[in-house]
Amino acid sequence: MRLRSLVHLASLNLRSDLRGTAVNTAAACVGAAALVFFVALGMGVGQAARLMFPGDARLVEVVPGAVSLGAALGGGALDDGAVARLRELPGVDGAWRRLALRVPIAASRAPEGVRMNWPTGFTVQVPVVGVDAGLVSSDLAPGGKFDDPPAGEAIPVLASRRLLEVYNKTIAPAWNLRRLPPGLDLMGLQIPVQVGFSIIPLKTEDRVYDARLALAGLSDRVPLYSLAVPVETVRRLHKEYGKADTGYSSVILEARRPDDVPGIAAAVRRMGFAVDEGERAIAERVGLAITVTAGALALLALLMTALAALAIAQSLSASVRARTRDIAILQSLGATAGDVRALVLAEAALVGLAGGVLGVGIAWLAARGVDAAALGLLPDFPFRPTTFFLFPAWIFALGTGVSAAAALLGALAPAALAARVDPARAIS
Amino acid sequence: MISLRHITKRFHDGEREVAVLRDLDLDVAAGAFTAVVGPSGSGKSTLLYVAGGLDADFDGEAVVAGKDLRTLSARERASFRNGSVGFVFQSFNLLPSLPAVENVMLPGLFVPPGIPAPSIGQLRGRALEALDRVGLADKASRLPGRLSGGERQRVAIARALLSRPAVLLADEPTGNLDAVSGEAVIQLFSGMVRDGVTVLVVTHEERVSSAAGQVLHLEDGRLR
Ligand SMILES: Nc1ncnc2c1ncn2[C@@H]1O[C@H](COP(=O)(O)OP(=O)(O)O)[C@@H](O)[C@H]1O
Ligand SMILES: [Mg+2]
Repeated sequence: MRLRSLVHLASLNLRSDLRGTAVNTAAACVGAAALVFFVALGMGVGQAARLMFPGDARLVEVVPGAVSLGAALGGGALDDGAVARLRELPGVDGAWRRLALRVPIAASRAPEGVRMNWPTGFTVQVPVVGVDAGLVSSDLAPGGKFDDPPAGEAIPVLASRRLLEVYNKTIAPAWNLRRLPPGLDLMGLQIPVQVGFSIIPLKTEDRVYDARLALAGLSDRVPLYSLAVPVETVRRLHKEYGKADTGYSSVILEARRPDDVPGIAAAVRRMGFAVDEGERAIAERVGLAITVTAGALALLALLMTALAALAIAQSLSASVRARTRDIAILQSLGATAGDVRALVLAEAALVGLAGGVLGVGIAWLAARGVDAAALGLLPDFPFRPTTFFLFPAWIFALGTGVSAAAALLGALAPAALAARVDPARAIS
Repeated sequence: MISLRHITKRFHDGEREVAVLRDLDLDVAAGAFTAVVGPSGSGKSTLLYVAGGLDADFDGEAVVAGKDLRTLSARERASFRNGSVGFVFQSFNLLPSLPAVENVMLPGLFVPPGIPAPSIGQLRGRALEALDRVGLADKASRLPGRLSGGERQRVAIARALLSRPAVLLADEPTGNLDAVSGEAVIQLFSGMVRDGVTVLVVTHEERVSSAAGQVLHLEDGRLR
């Protein structure tokens, strides 16, 4: 039987039983809609979470071990020797030092180059951490340098990529400051600071002098509420202010592959150091929770699709039984058993496709509705997504494909039933 | 055109085995109009289903329109029903959900692979022509339920003739019709015979058999 004949006759049959067709299409549609909706939701929320917690699956943050344990195992402080040994661990591609600045730095004037309503007398303590240039080299603005500058020159700093969002959504509104317009080029922005000054009077150093920080880039590898400067700058300031060298605050290891991370973490612990799970663990836990939830919902949707397939199987079986004589008539006119089987399958496929297309459309509309409702109800917060759904092109194929496949699967038994009709017996 | 030799057809009725056709022979020449008469239950329909390739479960030899039915596969039998024979039944056997013209188009949808098949549009044109030949051009879009018995049977005849078969097999074609409609059907058969179609009608009605050139009696599973 030619495809055009098959489609012609199948659609005639579907049209002649509009009620049954509508019911079956609705069944297929519900399954497809639920599947597409939940898969799109899982991906959308996953993407939103990744924006909020940009955990790099290849990074391991090594921190000094507990004192007693560290001493016993030869661990303890993260000095240059420890860094060298960490760099030699199998699977490690790079090891970068982080050193928190123990000299207070404060900003009491607006950055130069942006219009900002900096309140008079308003001083912000700036947490500063020194990092190796290698950790953030790919985040530097083009042509930017990340070295300890000669005396009198601005110190290059990197800010968390997320700080801007947090500033706009929480800090600025709370302190009634101007929001930074999106797309503003902040590179090279100079921030006048006072080195040695603390808003806690007792912590202010004997010597306080003016310096400038120059924004050299934005990075996800900088802690959210601190600015990163070259690690050499921190060591120089510690020397200037007579701070004892107590080792690095942490060492960031970059694994060759994410799979290497557990092994590296175990080796680090054996060396007597601790691993700071920090944001990566949050990101992983959030990611896992989202994957599991979305997976469960998608499974539920698949179950609904399976139920739809069962419903279609049921109603097609009834329809085939009711049409036994019609089938025998078609056979008397030259239909083979294969033609009859194909006809039932084609009817199911058409219903499944129609239901799938409809379901995908409904899922998309429902997603738009949920987005509109959620965004209308939720307050503005950092990293608030503009949508909780992701609709890549393949999801439309998935919806219609799964729906058609389920309908076809449900039609297998009725189609076999139809193919077994004996014309000589059924026609009289 | 139709040659049946030593045809025996048995039905199993629980434990009992009943031979409806017993060592039956039948010869119908090409272009002949033959009637087989016999009382109800004598096996007339059974004979027709064997000759038409609807029932392959029989003993003996059946050659119809040049095809040895015993040697055909199920697929080849379907192809034979599609192109070599046309059926007309007492109860019309139209699909109730399809308009007359779609019913007439049906055989064209099952043209086997290897034989050029018409497009749906061409098929509709041919079906309308066939309906015109039986005088129903104006009722092509009606559902069977909105046609009279005589009109339904003429739709069925148009359908049987769509693929221009060599043989027409009719099972009590006037059984459900009034005298006037029955007469119209008989006229159509006579016209087909003039066009060279071989017609085999099984009936228990005198008015049909009187139009036939050859009348055979089915008794005790054999023809006399
Ligand atoms: N599928 C069947 N199973 C058992 N018996 C059957 C079957 N079909 C027909 N018969 C029997 O075969 C006999 C002939 O039937 P049929 O050919 O329909 O007769 P007719 O058409 O002459 O009235 C009847 O006795 C009928 O009961
Ligand atoms: Mg009969």
